[in-house]
Amino acid sequence: MTVSEEQLRALEVVAGIEIAPEHRPGVTRNLDVLMAQAALLFDPPLDPVVEPAPVFNP
Amino acid sequence: MTVSNVKVKLPGASEIAKAVRSGNLSAREHVECLLADIAERNPALNCFTEIMSERARREADAVDAKVAMGKNPGPLAGVPFGVKDNYDIASRVTLAGSIVNRDRPPASRDAVLVERLTAAGAVLVGTQNMDELAYGFTTENAHYGNTHNPHDPKRSAGGSSGGSAAAVAAGLCQFALGTDTNGSIRVPSSFCGVFGLKPTFGRLPRSGTFPFVHDLDHLGPFARSAADLALVYDAVQGHDAADLACAGFPRCPTSSSLGSFHARNVGVLGGWFHDLADEQGRDAAARVGAALSASDVITLPGAERARAAAFVLTCTSGGNLHAEKLRTHAHEFDPATRDRLLAGLLLPANAVLQAQRQRTLFREEVMAAFAECDLLVAPATPCSAPLLGQATMEIAGKTLPARPNIGLLTQPLSFIGVPIVTVPVHNGPMPIGVQLIAPPWREDLALQAAAKLEREGIVASMDNARC
Repeated sequence: MTVSEEQLRALEVVAGIEIAPEHRPGVTRNLDVLMAQAALLFDPPLDPVVEPAPVFNP
Repeated sequence: MTVSNVKVKLPGASEIAKAVRSGNLSAREHVECLLADIAERNPALNCFTEIMSERARREADAVDAKVAMGKNPGPLAGVPFGVKDNYDIASRVTLAGSIVNRDRPPASRDAVLVERLTAAGAVLVGTQNMDELAYGFTTENAHYGNTHNPHDPKRSAGGSSGGSAAAVAAGLCQFALGTDTNGSIRVPSSFCGVFGLKPTFGRLPRSGTFPFVHDLDHLGPFARSAADLALVYDAVQGHDAADLACAGFPRCPTSSSLGSFHARNVGVLGGWFHDLADEQGRDAAARVGAALSASDVITLPGAERARAAAFVLTCTSGGNLHAEKLRTHAHEFDPATRDRLLAGLLLPANAVLQAQRQRTLFREEVMAAFAECDLLVAPATPCSAPLLGQATMEIAGKTLPARPNIGLLTQPLSFIGVPIVTVPVHNGPMPIGVQLIAPPWREDLALQAAAKLEREGIVASMDNARC
């Protein structure tokens, strides 16, 4: 999946940031990689009882 | 360079400190020798961002004065060390390998670990190069230059604590402190052929260091032997309330127990940790496993998702941490750092929370493995040190971008905070590291295994020290 310019603009609005034109290709490329990694986290779906965990409790 | 090139080892930290305490070695003379060596060899290696000659002389003189007065100068008396550029040093701006931090105020005091080492008699010689803001695995820094691997200057020293590992490997300090968020101690240990310890998350206080990812950041030492690693680790242990993640455990000294290693069972990690390593890495892990009488191959099916979750948390947490500077000073970041942080800033929270939930599952998976094995063994990096500037690498038959994939074998493990000692194996033209992975809070076990492997000649640092 490649993030489109329209999607990038929408994400900028949500994040409250304006990305310079010269930085947009690099950001898009990295966002593609990041979203591919994030997709791995949703397959298979998690049981609702699985809680977010900070590492070890001493 | 092969194992036959390993030189006769020079004295370790404890021997240097003993000689200083007894008056047989002047701390000042020792540090002068080292400063001269740094002046000669650092320009080619670029390990240091700042050489602190005057401070080193002052501290060495203070040690010698204590000896002259019959006082005990400490267990690390006169032992020279360096710290990664993200540790606070009093009166110095903590740049963390960036220029965006240059308008921050100077540190009011040393980082807690530096204070503890100074109190133990160690002598700080300088701050050391790193990937910008600790975001990288190669110490190729757009602002401060590349650090070169002492074993082959065309190759990477690893990162992000590359200056520290390279300085230890080159003998430009006896030991060094680094940080490890996704592998930044273990990767440079592997590439430079030195020992490295990433303790349990929460073991060592991070007070006075510049953060990268708050719930993944660890501090730890590099050294040229397991004994030195343990000695330094023992000197810096202890709770500090300023680090909210620091556990309230009492100190657990390890140096005195290095002579014993008793494990019920040792497992070598298969699956992800086998498939993504090259032949050299697999051979190194097999040698270490055999020497520790490993009997099981353990597979962690969640490793790929754990790595993905660590990847997501790193991008997004880093983006969050630097959001203001990214809005106002984006052009001042290293382009490779900037684009990743900006991407992280844009990722929806849904993925971040999912990554934190995946952490629960992977922790359970690894704890189940520790129910079967006391210690796990895995290669530290997919290959030995790549060339500086190398764009791609072959991993499991695929050509992948080099820089983001060097940490494939370290990221899943720091994600859940387990303690790991990386040990150097010399089974190829360049050294490669093997991770000794212990259950939470069992740094002692990983250090004992490292010491046993060193005694048996399975692992060793190549000693390039001249002082």
